[in-house]
Amino acid sequence: MKKDLEAILKKPDGKHAHSYVPELADKFVKGEVDRREFLRTATLLGVSASAAYAFAGRATGQSLIPEAAAETPKKGGILRFAMEVQEITDPATYDWTQKSNVSRWMVEYLTRTKPDNVTVPYLAESWEASDDLKTWTFKLRKGVKWSNGDDFNADDVVYNFKRWLDPKIGSSNLSLFSGLTETVETTNDAGETVKQQRMREGAVEKVDSHTVRLHLSTPNLSIPENLYNYPTGIVHRKFDEMGGDLSKNPIGTGPYELAAFSVGEEAKLVRRTDPHGYWGDEPYLDGIHYIDTGSDRSAMMAAIASDQVDGIFEVDVTQLDVVERMPGVTIHSVNTARTGICRMQVDKKPFDDPRVREAVTVSLDHQKLLELGYRGRGVTAENHHVGPMHPEYAEIPWRKQDHEKAKQLLKEAGYPDGIDIQIDVGQTQGPWELATVQAMKEQLAPSGINLKINTMPAAQYWEIWTTTPFGLTSWTHRPLGVMVLNLAYRSGQAWNESNYANPEFDKALDEANGILDPNERRKKMEEVEAILQGDHVISQPFWRSQYVATRDYVKGFATHPTQYHQFQNVWLDK
Amino acid sequence: MLLFVTRRVGTMALTMIVVSILLFILLELTPGNVATKVLGPYSSEEQRRLWLEAHGYFDPIHIRYFRWLGDFIIGNFGESTRFKVPVGDVLWPRLWNTAILGFAVMVVVVPLSLTLGVLAGMKEGSKLDRSISVGSIVFTSIPEFASAVLLSAIFVFYLGLLPGTSGMASGFDLAQLVLPVMVLVLYDFGYVARMTRASMAEVMLTNYIRTAVLKGLPYRSVILKHALRNALIAPFTVIMLQINWLLSGVIVVEFFFAYKGFGALLLEASLNQDIFLIEACAMVAVFVAVGTQFAADVGYTYLNPRIRFS
Repeated sequence: MKKDLEAILKKPDGKHAHSYVPELADKFVKGEVDRREFLRTATLLGVSASAAYAFAGRATGQSLIPEAAAETPKKGGILRFAMEVQEITDPATYDWTQKSNVSRWMVEYLTRTKPDNVTVPYLAESWEASDDLKTWTFKLRKGVKWSNGDDFNADDVVYNFKRWLDPKIGSSNLSLFSGLTETVETTNDAGETVKQQRMREGAVEKVDSHTVRLHLSTPNLSIPENLYNYPTGIVHRKFDEMGGDLSKNPIGTGPYELAAFSVGEEAKLVRRTDPHGYWGDEPYLDGIHYIDTGSDRSAMMAAIASDQVDGIFEVDVTQLDVVERMPGVTIHSVNTARTGICRMQVDKKPFDDPRVREAVTVSLDHQKLLELGYRGRGVTAENHHVGPMHPEYAEIPWRKQDHEKAKQLLKEAGYPDGIDIQIDVGQTQGPWELATVQAMKEQLAPSGINLKINTMPAAQYWEIWTTTPFGLTSWTHRPLGVMVLNLAYRSGQAWNESNYANPEFDKALDEANGILDPNERRKKMEEVEAILQGDHVISQPFWRSQYVATRDYVKGFATHPTQYHQFQNVWLDK
Repeated sequence: MLLFVTRRVGTMALTMIVVSILLFILLELTPGNVATKVLGPYSSEEQRRLWLEAHGYFDPIHIRYFRWLGDFIIGNFGESTRFKVPVGDVLWPRLWNTAILGFAVMVVVVPLSLTLGVLAGMKEGSKLDRSISVGSIVFTSIPEFASAVLLSAIFVFYLGLLPGTSGMASGFDLAQLVLPVMVLVLYDFGYVARMTRASMAEVMLTNYIRTAVLKGLPYRSVILKHALRNALIAPFTVIMLQINWLLSGVIVVEFFFAYKGFGALLLEASLNQDIFLIEACAMVAVFVAVGTQFAADVGYTYLNPRIRFS
């Protein structure tokens, strides 16, 4: 590789951000690593996004100059968006993306992952990882002012980490940053010994006023991506002292302030009026008005049809045909890693017998389920919860539907006359869940499996999702395959809903977590995926594509696979 | 009269107490759920236990009931887990919104159905009577969710004349009230009209009407001066019952049109197992039910002197 080309990737001090960067660049130039993987890995390792894009452009001979925007953006206007408005008391305990979409205009994140999976600086100006990926140093942006006039600094970041990793707060970030925690045994009031996860002493270090260092116990490449996960918004260092309620005391570093807020009704965000001003480029929009149209997706559709809103949070796949025919409305779609997982608890009857699980999985035709359950709007999946949208995905095609094999397996398992099983469905993400399970019922019948469908309200499903023997759980998009495997299939994790425990799988996953080379990682992932697929823990028919609709005059809009709203470049042409 | 009112108020209070006991038993017997809902899904067993203890969930049930009732009477309904504010803060504005919707429906339904009912009942079996009766049955038979979809399809998606949702996000807007009112009126008017018709037809067959007609009174004054007052007694009760129906019957319409009313709130509270909110909503609904019944009874005695002092 030419020296001048490599120089693009170096930092101003002439060094590489990480020792692996030259090798990665070399592989990219030789064509062993594709553009998407190169950009993602390089930026995670601390190479600036502009340097990474410039290098990619030069190396592949593409123009460095971005395509000129067709139109000049206009400033002003309020974007009206239909979305559920839920409580936004404490960003650390969010359990819905919608909550973060309201607060993300005030409470910002350390990093930002763009729709193309490239992570760029936000409140953190740059970062560096040690060679073993265990020590991460984040340089924070200077000159950022909170809306109450205070300076944003390292104390804020350390304070937030402490909150996230404090078991008393109850934040899901505790499992996300498991490399910063330790498990201790404590005695509760009743005298019982309980295991508790909490922050390890010295895991988060304040180096100086604008530098924070994380000391992990295991290597982790996705730390910068995790810092854009929706419950990781950075609140003011006196958040708890100031009442611990963002909706009542909305202090933030973002470009907008909360002008009106009412759960179930609306949230109105307008440009900051405090004298300290926003640190970054001013967005084009004067404000964003989130309007709650309830949990019924058809009300959203009616709202955009009658021009009551400029955009809607999600178009349900059953309504696509109607929205596609609406004049003046544009549909934005993206392939995502959102999916429905029919998981079987491997320690509960009758699913404790792997032959029963295999009989279920082998009876299903994923392509048909995709067509019947989600109208063909997605990609078929392979029962291992890693997909083509993940950078480390290795393809292991799923077997053909085989009723004879299923019957034989059931016979061996002691069910020669077939078996009755029941699945719980909460339709937490829409009516497609029921449609899919109904199609499954038809496909299972020829194998002698009689599937009983038990539907319940979403809230009720979330009460039992980790305890029911057989249930359909919706999983949201995560940029990396290993992220969800670590959460949902590793032995003993809180979100391990299938009670799957396989040391061989855990070991392979650990190894995959620490491999930097995308190709090597993929090889290891093939092993990981094969173990999970071969153990028949889940049936995962398909990955769902996602649809968002806006009015034609909404420009610069791009839908994000995580449903996080990024309206920095959005403007209204009217 | 005073005795009558006192007795009625007494029955009302008794009904409310019985309902409150039933409600309390149904909703509070699963304390584990309350703590999970309040503290969130990531809370630990330990946190939940401490919370339950701090909020007196381990006290005997009758003590908990009286404490709950006492809080309720002074207006302390607890805090909503869904909205993270005191229950009253969401309940009263939502109730007011439903009152607006209900009032708008009544303004249309009462004159419309009374007129149609009287017209139909004046001459039983006439062409007019048959058309009105068949029309009433047809419209009453169409469930609200069906007419809501149909009217939306016509007025929102096809003609583009009316707003599709009624959230009133930018302040009160009469146009947004049109579709919900239309759906409720279509569903409701037929019932009241048919009750009025039956009552009117009955009155028209009585001897004093025949006498009035035979003695040569103009038909107009027979209807307006003699028949109407007696014919309106039965519809009056029905109309009072509609108030009660509107409070909970609007759930479908409010949900469909994203109207921020009491029905939608009750549904949201139930789906999210927001215990304190459900309790408050249910008690308000019961209060309105017995309240309208009371008003109907008192009003009835004015319209019908024969039962005034019985």
